[in-house]
Amino acid sequence: MREVFFMIYSVFTVLAALGVVVSRHAIFSAFSLVLSFFGLATLYLLWGTSFISMLQILIYTGAVVVLFVFVVMLLDLKKEETLDSAKTGPLVMAGLSVWFFSLLILRALNRATYFKSTNVEAASDMKSISVLLFSKYLWGFEILSVFLLALIVSACVLARAEHMERKADQ
Amino acid sequence: MIPASVQILHWSHYVAACLFALGLFGFLIRKNAIVVLMCIELMLNAVNLILVEVSMRSGHPEGLIFVIFIITVAAAEAAVGLGIILNLYRAKGTVNIDAFRTLQG
Repeated sequence: MREVFFMIYSVFTVLAALGVVVSRHAIFSAFSLVLSFFGLATLYLLWGTSFISMLQILIYTGAVVVLFVFVVMLLDLKKEETLDSAKTGPLVMAGLSVWFFSLLILRALNRATYFKSTNVEAASDMKSISVLLFSKYLWGFEILSVFLLALIVSACVLARAEHMERKADQ
Repeated sequence: MIPASVQILHWSHYVAACLFALGLFGFLIRKNAIVVLMCIELMLNAVNLILVEVSMRSGHPEGLIFVIFIITVAAAEAAVGLGIILNLYRAKGTVNIDAFRTLQG
């Protein structure tokens, strides 16, 4: 059963990611991105990491894609570029580089000795994650909170910059 | 002894490589800046999938910590990137990345 689910959802995820790349309008890309994120959340569930799966759905499909959709709605994108308008030269070069790069990744992954470990344990329970997060990675966690504060300030400044300038001119 | 149902999940780094390659391809060929940001998100998600696989296969929860960090940074990157795209659209009236050749605006 798990094999069937894994195959279905991995194909689903990759197809949705393909939809992100080849969609003509940005809004279809955004909706394909939602599908791809849901497929990834299901793959995380199959691995047994339900916490990461919930995070994926809450943060990515709940926050990030909503941001994307809002920006696509805010901007007036009439003359939309399509994939066909790309010249064949860059297309071929991009395809070749991606091919080489993915071969490189796969080779590195298959040769990694860490990957050969078959010790499948319950590493995903909330207790082990939170103990590690609040002991070994406490500083990273705290720095992340400061980072998020800086993000809020910078996003406000970016969004309001034009408006303030206009007010200053008047 | 690993049950057969776990073995098939060990293929998920191929899924992650496909996702990363698609994201990189879209990043290289798309002209719409919003779609380029989406492709960056795809690449980050591919890395997350690999981290989850490594973490679960080795039994260390450390990979999951990094997944949490990456998700946070990716959300931040999307927010700031979209703010920058909004300002670029106000400046140039388009989100085509070929229009942003000069840094002087």
